[in-house]
Amino acid sequence: MVIVLFFVALLAFVLMRLSPGDPVRMYLPEDAPEAAVEEMREKLGLNEPYVTQFFRYINDLLHGDLGTSITYRKAIWPMILERLPTTAKITLGTVVVGLLISIPLGIIAGVNQGGPIDLFAMFFALLGQSMSIVWLGILLVFVFSVILGWLPAMGDKGFVFYILPSLTLGYPMAAQITRLGRSGMVDVLHEDFIAATRAKGIPDYLVYSKYAFKNALIPIITQMGLTIGTYLSGSVVVEQIFGMAGIGQLLFTAVGNRDYPLVQSLLVFSAAVFVIVNLIVDIINSIVDPRIKLE
Amino acid sequence: MKKLLLKRMLKSAFFVVGLLTTLFILVMVLFAPAITPYEPNQNSLTERLQPPDWSQGFDGHLFGTDNMGRDLFSRVLYGGRSSFFIAFTSTLLSAALGILLGLIAGYYGGIADVIISRLCDIFIAIPSLVMGIVVSALFGVSKINLIGVMIATSWIKYTKIGRNNVVVARSMEYVHASKVLGASSWRIMIREIFPNVTTPLLIQVSQGIGSIIILESTLSFLNLGIQPPDPSWGNMITNGRNFMATHPWMVLAPGCALMLTVMAFNFLGDGLRDVMDPKRN
Repeated sequence: MVIVLFFVALLAFVLMRLSPGDPVRMYLPEDAPEAAVEEMREKLGLNEPYVTQFFRYINDLLHGDLGTSITYRKAIWPMILERLPTTAKITLGTVVVGLLISIPLGIIAGVNQGGPIDLFAMFFALLGQSMSIVWLGILLVFVFSVILGWLPAMGDKGFVFYILPSLTLGYPMAAQITRLGRSGMVDVLHEDFIAATRAKGIPDYLVYSKYAFKNALIPIITQMGLTIGTYLSGSVVVEQIFGMAGIGQLLFTAVGNRDYPLVQSLLVFSAAVFVIVNLIVDIINSIVDPRIKLE
Repeated sequence: MKKLLLKRMLKSAFFVVGLLTTLFILVMVLFAPAITPYEPNQNSLTERLQPPDWSQGFDGHLFGTDNMGRDLFSRVLYGGRSSFFIAFTSTLLSAALGILLGLIAGYYGGIADVIISRLCDIFIAIPSLVMGIVVSALFGVSKINLIGVMIATSWIKYTKIGRNNVVVARSMEYVHASKVLGASSWRIMIREIFPNVTTPLLIQVSQGIGSIIILESTLSFLNLGIQPPDPSWGNMITNGRNFMATHPWMVLAPGCALMLTVMAFNFLGDGLRDVMDPKRN
C-alpha cells in the first residue's frame, strides 16, 4: 500500500517535470524580468536537482505537508479539506442512489431469472453501463431542469442541488451492481444450503434476503470500493456540469494553471483515497465472509 | 463447430442487436463523405440553428444545424470518425501491450509476475479520467497524446485478464505436452496458451472500445480532447449545452450517437460472452 503511494508520487512528479511549460512563468506577469524569474525559481526550490526536489517532496508528504499551491499561494491540505465536503456529499448521494436501486433490482432479477423483471434489469444495467457521465448529466438537466423545472441545474446551496449529481453518478453505479447482484444470486440459488433453508420452512423472502444475498455480497462490496475510489475523477465531470466547487474542480483548475505542487498532491491524495477505500473493502469483506483472510 | 457457433450467435439477442448496430454505425461513419452532402466544418450564416428536417432525405439537415450553421448530421458522422480512429488504434495497441505483459506475468510467474502486478496496482490507483486530464492538459492536446492516455489507462485490464487465465492454462496437460516436445517458452505462450485465453480478452476488447469512446468524449467535453472546430461528440455536447433550452437537438444529436455507439459495443461484448462462453449462463 505504501509502495503503491510512493510510486504514484514518483509518477506524478515525473509527469509534472516532463511536461512542457514553466510554472514560474505562469505565476509571474508576462513581462517579468529574468532576475525575478530566477529569484522565484529559487524561492520555490525549482532550481535544485530533480532528485533533491523529489525527496524533499516525499519527506514533506511523510510529515503530512502536501506543499503550497503556486497559483493560490496557500497551503494545499486546507484547500483540499475545504472542498472535500462537496465531493464527499456527492459520493454519499451516489452510493445511496446506487444501492437503493441496484440491491432490490439485482435480487429480484436473480430470483426470477429469465422473467420480465430480469430482462428489464439486464437492459437497465446495459443502458447504464453505456451512459457517459457527461451525457447522462446533461440529459438529466435537460429533463428535470429545462423541461420539467423541478430541480436546479447548477449550484451548491443545499440538499436539492445534490439530487441530480447523485443520480448522474448513481445510475452507472447501480447498473454495475445490479449485474453483480443478479449473477451472484443466480449462482448461489443452486447451492445445497439454499435448498436446506427452504426445507426447514424458512420463508422465501428471508431465504433470498438473508441467506442467498449474503453470498452475493462480496463481489458487490469489492466493486463498490473500486468505483468509490475513482469518484474524484467521476466528480470532475459532475462538478463541471453542475458548477460545484469540489476536489474535481480544484484538480481541473490546477491542471489548467500548471500548478505543479497542487496537481502532484491531488494525484497522491486521490490515490491515497483509492488505496484506503480498498483497504476498508478488504476488511469489510473479511467480516462478511470469514473465509477471506487479510494479507 | 462453426455451425454450432452460428446457431448460438443467432440465438443471442444481445449479440445480434449489438453486431448489427455496430456494423450500421461503422458503415455510416466510414462512408460519411458519401452519405452527407455537407462539410462538417462549413459555416453558414443563413442556416443557423435550424431544427431537424427529414422532408428532403439526405439533402436536408437531418439533425438540424448548430449556432454556426453547420450541419449536425455530418458533424456527428465525422465526430464518430475521430472517435473510432482513436478507439480502435488505442484498443489495438493497449490490448497488444496488456496481453503481452499478462502472458509474461502469468507464464513466468515469480519476479516478473510481482513487478507487472505491482505496476497494475500503481496505475489502477490513478483513475483514468484523472490521468487523462493531467496528461492532456500538461502535454498539450493531440491525437497522439490522446491515444497515449488511452493506452496508459486501459492496458491494465488486458494484463489482469490475460495473467489470470494464463495461470490456469499453464498447468494444463497440453502445455506440459508441448514442453516435453521441446517447444520454446515463446512458442508455448503464443501458439499454445494464447489461443485458449482469447475469449475473455475478446469480450474485454469489445467493452474496452466502448469505454475509450466514453473517455475520449469526456476529455473532449472538458476541452482536453479533439479541439474545435473539428467535431467530436464530446465537444459538440459542450457547445450544444449552451443552447439546450431553446435548441435541444444540438446536444441530443451527439449525445444519442455516443450512447448508441457505446451501447452497441457493450451489447456485442455481452453477446460474445453468451456465444463463446455458454457455460457461464
